[in-house]
Amino acid sequence: MQFASRSYSADSISAVQELYHSNGWTDGLPIVPPTREAVQECLEWVMMPPDQLIGIEPVRGLAITAEKLAINAVMAGCLPMHFPVVVTAWTAMMQEEFLMHGATASTGGCAVLVILNGPIRLEIGASGSFNALANSDRATAVIGRAIRLCLINLLDDRPGVIDRSTLGHPGKFSYCVAEDEEDTTWLPLAEHRGVPKGASSVTVMAAGAPRQLMNEWTTKPEEILETFAAEMRANMRHYSIHPGNYALIIPKQLREHLQAGGWTKADVATFIHERARIHRREWAEVGKGAVVRDRGDSVYSAMDSPDQLLVVAAGGPAGGFGAVIPPWLGNKSYAVTLPIGVCVDCEPPKK
Amino acid sequence: MFEVLDPTPGTAPPAGRLAPRLDTLEGKTVGFISNGKEGTKGFFKHLDQILREEYGVAKVVSRTKSNYSAPADPHIVAEIKGWDAVVSGLGD
Repeated sequence: MQFASRSYSADSISAVQELYHSNGWTDGLPIVPPTREAVQECLEWVMMPPDQLIGIEPVRGLAITAEKLAINAVMAGCLPMHFPVVVTAWTAMMQEEFLMHGATASTGGCAVLVILNGPIRLEIGASGSFNALANSDRATAVIGRAIRLCLINLLDDRPGVIDRSTLGHPGKFSYCVAEDEEDTTWLPLAEHRGVPKGASSVTVMAAGAPRQLMNEWTTKPEEILETFAAEMRANMRHYSIHPGNYALIIPKQLREHLQAGGWTKADVATFIHERARIHRREWAEVGKGAVVRDRGDSVYSAMDSPDQLLVVAAGGPAGGFGAVIPPWLGNKSYAVTLPIGVCVDCEPPKK
Repeated sequence: MFEVLDPTPGTAPPAGRLAPRLDTLEGKTVGFISNGKEGTKGFFKHLDQILREEYGVAKVVSRTKSNYSAPADPHIVAEIKGWDAVVSGLGD
């Protein structure tokens, strides 16, 4: 297999590490050496030649090839079976509505949240159970890391270069979660978003850090969801009032109360849309009185419509916890869901 | 011995070319493209004054992007042809 990339020789594993760190090609953690063999295995898995065009980054016009994604995926620790997810996530990120350049360059410091649905989760061992939003398993850890290394190396999304984040958050190392489809009666997120039942898919969202909440003192769906809505209101007061895609991560303990009450994901979204609203005047209570101006009575919704809520069943079996994952900056970036492997000619999908 | 591959594009992205530098600002039209953030307001107001009063700029055209995180809107980009110079500013 012929590669376009320049190759380097290194005497030892530590020499490889120093080569990549000194060139600014890492996230600060050690990398897996991207040898020709390892990169070739990834490309063979997805049946793509090295120069396969995955897409053109819409703002700077950079051509993103399968070879470059594969090199970065190997560096992140991906096995060939993880690579289809990386390719699909990047295809999704290059859709115009995701606004990848803005989302990854912004001072707002969001990360790309990757949500996995469908049978591929089981094939690659991606777990949506214990520690779902963190180091739950190998697959989600390395896939999330691959997304970031690709951003660093392909788009120059290095801190202080294109990445102008003031703070960022730990999800910028890796931010990938698999939905726990086996342990819920709810429809998978991807099906809600139009992907046929049984297809594997990837959803990407420009996302802030998870805001964890707790309510183990009720079994009433309305009360449980009120805690989620309150956390969204807090985000609107303390961070951004812009409406957009929010994700709710609902682990089993709270999920079972909602399911027992007959609540579907659509019911959850409808309730949350009604409750996650604030008056502009509330900003005065949190030190932002200067921007209330004469519009204190205006009401703002966290989402334009219920279908902007991404409800995800994930988390360990015990604990009355949940999480709200807020958008980077409302509708400036829209979450994108794409099925894996349906693009037989591998052209970027057109709207 | 490891033989490892470069993870970067290796080539620079296609870049725009800077317009030739002006000999003078006297009598020229200067366009401002603001990203619309709070910090741009005072900056561009002050710059407008300096350009007119100290450099003899004939006309300042101010435009604000509809989305501060996205490239300038096509209608703003189309207007640039009528300007002699552009100042594109961030508010952060």
